[in-house]
Amino acid sequence: MYGADEDHMEVAMEQEDDEIVQEDSWNVISAFFDDKGLVRQQLDSFNEFVNVTIQEIIDETPEIVIKPESQHLPGVDAAEEKEYIIKFGQVYLSRPQITEQDGESVVLFPKEARLRNLTYCAPLYVDVTKTEYTRMSDDSVEEKQEVFQHVHLGKVPIMLKSERCNLHEASTEQEATNLGECPYDQGGYFVINGSEKVLIAQERMANNHVYVFKKSQPSKYTFCAEIRSVVEGSTRSASSMSIMMLAKGKKAGAAGVIRAQIPYIRAEFPIFILFRALGFVSDRDILEHIVYDLDADPAMLEALRASVEEAQEVQTQEEALNYLGKRGTVTGASKADRIQYARNLLIKELLPHLGTEEFMETRKGYFVGYMVHRLMLVALGRRAEDDRDHYANKRLDLGGPLLAGLFRLLFRKLCKEMRMQAQKMVDAGKEINVLSAINEKVITRGLKYSLATGNWGEQGKQGIRAGVSQVLARLTYASTLSHLRRVNSPIGREGKLAKPRQLHNSLWGMFCPAETPEGQAVGLVKNMALMCYITVGTPSLPVVAHLEEFNTEALDEVTPADIAASTKVFINGVWLGIQRDPTALIKNLRAMRRQVAFSTEVSIIYDGPLKELRIFTDYGRTSRPLYIVEGNRLLVSKHHIRRLINPAPDEEEYAWPQLVADGLVEYIDAEEEETTMIAMTIADLRNAREAGAATGTTYTHCEIHPAMILGVCASIIPFPDHNQSPRNTYQSAMGKQAMGMYCTNYQTRMDTQGFVLYYPQKPLVCTRAMDYLKFRELPAGINAIVAIMCYTGYNQEDSLMLNGSSIDRGFHRSIFYRAYKEEVKKSGVMAREEIEAPDPSITAKMKHGTYDKLDADGLVPPGTRVSGEDIICGKTVQLPDDPTGAVQRHTKKDASLALRGHEAGVIDQVMLTTNDEGQKFVKIRVRTICIPQVGDKFASRHGQKGTCGITYTMEDMPFTAEGIVPDIIVNPHAIPSRMTIGHLVEALMSKVASLMGSEGDATPFTKVTVDNVSQMLHDLGYQRRGWEVMYSGHTGRQVKAQIFLNPTYYQRLKHMVDFKIHSRGRGPVQVLTRQPAEGRARDGGLRFGEMERDCIISHGSAAFLKERLFDQSDAYRIHVCERSGLIAVANLKKQQFTSTIYKDGSNIYQVFIPYACKLLFQELMAMCIAPRMQFEK
Amino acid sequence: MENNTTVLNDEFLAHRLGLIPLVSAEAVHWKRPFEWSGDADIIETSFSLDVACNQDGVMDVTSNDLIPMDPDRAVEPVNCRNTEEKPIVIVKLRRGQALKLTARARKGIGKDHAKFIPVATAVFQFKPKIVLNAAAMADMTDDEKQAFVHSDPSKTFKFNPITRMIEVDNDESYMYDDECILKARELGRPDLVTITQCQDHFIFRVEGTGVLPVESIVRQAIAYLQKKCLDLEAAAKDAVALASGQPLPGADDMGPGGQGQDMDGGMGGMGGGMGMGMGMGGPGGMDMGMGGPPMGMGGGMGMGMGGPMY
Repeated sequence: MYGADEDHMEVAMEQEDDEIVQEDSWNVISAFFDDKGLVRQQLDSFNEFVNVTIQEIIDETPEIVIKPESQHLPGVDAAEEKEYIIKFGQVYLSRPQITEQDGESVVLFPKEARLRNLTYCAPLYVDVTKTEYTRMSDDSVEEKQEVFQHVHLGKVPIMLKSERCNLHEASTEQEATNLGECPYDQGGYFVINGSEKVLIAQERMANNHVYVFKKSQPSKYTFCAEIRSVVEGSTRSASSMSIMMLAKGKKAGAAGVIRAQIPYIRAEFPIFILFRALGFVSDRDILEHIVYDLDADPAMLEALRASVEEAQEVQTQEEALNYLGKRGTVTGASKADRIQYARNLLIKELLPHLGTEEFMETRKGYFVGYMVHRLMLVALGRRAEDDRDHYANKRLDLGGPLLAGLFRLLFRKLCKEMRMQAQKMVDAGKEINVLSAINEKVITRGLKYSLATGNWGEQGKQGIRAGVSQVLARLTYASTLSHLRRVNSPIGREGKLAKPRQLHNSLWGMFCPAETPEGQAVGLVKNMALMCYITVGTPSLPVVAHLEEFNTEALDEVTPADIAASTKVFINGVWLGIQRDPTALIKNLRAMRRQVAFSTEVSIIYDGPLKELRIFTDYGRTSRPLYIVEGNRLLVSKHHIRRLINPAPDEEEYAWPQLVADGLVEYIDAEEEETTMIAMTIADLRNAREAGAATGTTYTHCEIHPAMILGVCASIIPFPDHNQSPRNTYQSAMGKQAMGMYCTNYQTRMDTQGFVLYYPQKPLVCTRAMDYLKFRELPAGINAIVAIMCYTGYNQEDSLMLNGSSIDRGFHRSIFYRAYKEEVKKSGVMAREEIEAPDPSITAKMKHGTYDKLDADGLVPPGTRVSGEDIICGKTVQLPDDPTGAVQRHTKKDASLALRGHEAGVIDQVMLTTNDEGQKFVKIRVRTICIPQVGDKFASRHGQKGTCGITYTMEDMPFTAEGIVPDIIVNPHAIPSRMTIGHLVEALMSKVASLMGSEGDATPFTKVTVDNVSQMLHDLGYQRRGWEVMYSGHTGRQVKAQIFLNPTYYQRLKHMVDFKIHSRGRGPVQVLTRQPAEGRARDGGLRFGEMERDCIISHGSAAFLKERLFDQSDAYRIHVCERSGLIAVANLKKQQFTSTIYKDGSNIYQVFIPYACKLLFQELMAMCIAPRMQFEK
Repeated sequence: MENNTTVLNDEFLAHRLGLIPLVSAEAVHWKRPFEWSGDADIIETSFSLDVACNQDGVMDVTSNDLIPMDPDRAVEPVNCRNTEEKPIVIVKLRRGQALKLTARARKGIGKDHAKFIPVATAVFQFKPKIVLNAAAMADMTDDEKQAFVHSDPSKTFKFNPITRMIEVDNDESYMYDDECILKARELGRPDLVTITQCQDHFIFRVEGTGVLPVESIVRQAIAYLQKKCLDLEAAAKDAVALASGQPLPGADDMGPGGQGQDMDGGMGGMGGGMGMGMGMGGPGGMDMGMGGPPMGMGGGMGMGMGGPMY
């Protein structure tokens, strides 16, 4: 196809066939992001769920059959026998809408859902067919069918910007803005009860893969081959099977014996018995299924000798089935039953992915043989064990599959409930009312519950995964993007196993090497690289059909000897057959894929050593696009690029899909990547061509750009290739805390917390990837003039000095928004709530903040300055009438909302609306201006963070002869040990950029060198290394050393002293323990812990310790009965002391003990343990 | 603040308004709010701003929209209604947005807030004394000479193709970055050039913001500096008297003579002066004397927000 194209072009535009250069790749990359955006995986997987999976789930559900359990009525002949069958048909998913309390349904947009704490969901309808069969007394069957169309099944939350979203059509910026959305918002999340929720992709091991592992000492096996078999697109949980080699058995000769373990069979058993049970009886037959060519491989035959011998006593299929039946779960059955049980078991439960019908024994036998073969290869040392951490063996469950699993669960529950309801109706002799039998709340609530809490699964059930759904991070635009591309590995966070956390070779290009959290989840939480694409899954049928057309021989038609000579063909782990001419087939398959004859996401792997052709079409594989190379030459050429940038008027639009369809780029997944030869740069291809076929490498693919291995947060770092790698990791974490502009519609949103920078600037030095991250449009930082110097010592140990005059002028000033929520809850008839300014004369339990700022409607007006614990929304609850009928002073109780204790600000906006129950609903947003001050945190883009140590006005700052005064002074000690050279190069390039009025390019893996930048700086009349002669601001004397003074992009981080400052003398205590409360928000105490206690003791001031910790804080007086040692009853007023045990009298002592001790005693007593105090005479 | 339906909140606008420089030649005679002693003292003047946008597209609210409420006070934003200069944008409006407010301008000094600082840059530098060694130059090749000339980024030197000599082109541009000295050393001629700072001759550069004439800033600064020096001298004398006899060694060095000399040096440099105390400490004993707040003049005007905002 391409060849023809080339011929056609050759005459007209010769130069257009030139090979592209690295710079041109950016047009290809732009085309990719124009087509896909940054959250494609989320949208694709959700669309797949909505468009395909829901219908599939409903179709695969067995029909509900209901037979009346008719009561036997004496005398009445059971003349008629009825049977009802309820079947679900076509499903319909509507657009998101809301039914208001007055019954009106209106189209719902996300903005409204967010503001009014609604759920952005669409109703799901289904056609239900009810068939009634009546068996008349004359044995004829009467059929009556009734179809209920569009029965409400429940509400499904809709992902924003997916095909079902109301924003889907609002593609232009203007349209999005008109709907109150940020035009840069890319969707990919849900709105549940007003909060934005992301479904985090969950990593798991791939199904239907044979893994062979070496087992170490404590295990009784030496090697083990495992498979988790799942039928493609099925509901059933995985059925695992394993085959292991024994280290040493009970008998001496048992070493090397191979055993199998299959579901529902209690113990492991000899592998040959499994073969015999499947109908392969003779030893030779079985061995041929394992070794294929008996003459060629005597070593493997020898290794199998022990296994052959072990199964000697079971020689027929009957015996083998009986052997298995005996070890099954059913006990005490007859021999025939046992055999039948075993037979069924093998059909249904053994390797179900190969088929769960009868007569699949040949396939299954070959597959078991293949597993043993793989095991033997490892056991004989011919192959290494499989790599558990290789990403080819991993699959990602995205929003779609996660929701599908949940929906399946809930739909089954709905059917169960429906059947029960219907059965009840039938038993009561009534007709089945399908509409009332379907409880649509099951699905609505179930989906909402899981999405709202993150607990994936049915409420109150075991085995639920927590943290699947998270609140979307909205601190910075980059943090939002990064959150939408996060991947979690649920396996053992506490596990000290290092391997799954390590950066694996196969992660190249799929996951960001830098962006991962530090600490417990390091390496387990990953972030997708920019160009990573996650497969949605396509049916395998077209590929299977094609394979059959291409003379793939099915297993029943071949002899084992044929297998040895030809290539095994697997599709999604199913051994389909063998192929005698794999090279032609592979070539053909690749060509088909490149022509999009079948889906581009299908991966084709030819494993030479194993003689296997593996094809995958399943969902959740990680893949990425690469340039296709033929003859060490890219297939993309200049004219494609030209058509991407500006197509000629007569040409059709050329974009990413065309690049794929023309076979210029293709998606390669982690497993196929192992069979490719990928050039890093286009220059490598040229070098290989020049070296010639003899010495040069033959490439099959070429990276589009190596910078695309990074993820969202790491792509913001300039020159990450010049930094020590952990610094990039630190910055990736810190970039998420930087303030900037988290979306353009922040003024119309009511986020619980929001930080917005006053004058955000786009960085002087950018990376190319920032184009796609919209970092220039929604930046998070300011280009500051930074001096790296020691000045007065107020920047030691990672602190910074700030220019106070710059701060006066607005440097790093920010706004902090906090929204408060209040609603009227309706509960019962009596407890009526009302939003109003409480009347102190009739309201009980008024708070101590001021109510003066409330308007008549009980809300603070915008523009009001509020602080401390001021009341911002008044609310009262009606008190129930006194049962005695006495007139009460207070008829209401206060339930007002007060501002947070330590915060102050101005009321920015007050929103009054109704929630989904039609009740009054208020959101109040408070705004606070945060001016940088000592203690606030700042960071460059290189993991160099620091807090402000002092602010100096500009006359106290050092200055250059040009009058440049730094905004920030950082300590030079921050540089050498951290090796953030990128920081320095960024600074240098920023200076050039600012002098030339241009933007610097700091994309990693490009040809920019420090010497280039230095030379430019020199030509601009500055010292080449960015040094400046400076003069002390205090003395005016020239500073001895020259100072590295350059612009650098600095971020302000959200941690600010004013939100942290805390001290306490006396204050609130917990009711139960009388210990001080915890945390700043509750004005809690600062813990004087064990180690602090140890200090005081070792200081020799134990008496002081007792005085502080006991006498002055926790002392409690009790009276103790001497005889019983228990606490006595004391009436201090009457000076009466009585023992609860010895009523006749005992000595009572007054003692002081810690309150915590008294509490302990009482709790022990509640558990029937008597702690007795004894007194020394 | 009476009405604000703009995209910026009240505090943001107040901050932006405050940063607008106001022509404050008259303000010398004003009093700062805490100095107010009677009705005769002027401490503030007001501006009103009332703009609404009824057009499509974006409309700028600029410093030209600030209307003085006492026109006779002669306080107005810098470059106000100057057609050649662009006014300062306060906020941008879209259709339906409006802004109405009253702003009050008071006098203040740069120490209180950077908005009162009347200068943009105020900087000084020692005049360099550059001596080229002709003997060392004699046996250098032209290429070496060229290399030497190009080594200085600020183009202090030039190569004269006629005499084939290195000449000092513009000594004032020299930045003391030692690049040429390093180059000379690298070429094996460490004696080629000697550069020293003229300790009694220095260059001041002052750039105003338009709030006050630069000359007036410099004069005020010097006057203020002199006053401080006199105060210090008087204080030192008192201290000496108190200390009964033994004069303090430091105080002695800072005689008024020394001060005067420094100032002359400064004036000689450029006829310029200095602003805002930046780099105000001259050489010699001066720095100790100026250790305190070297803030200059009550020059700049800033604005505080007024009206029914709070």
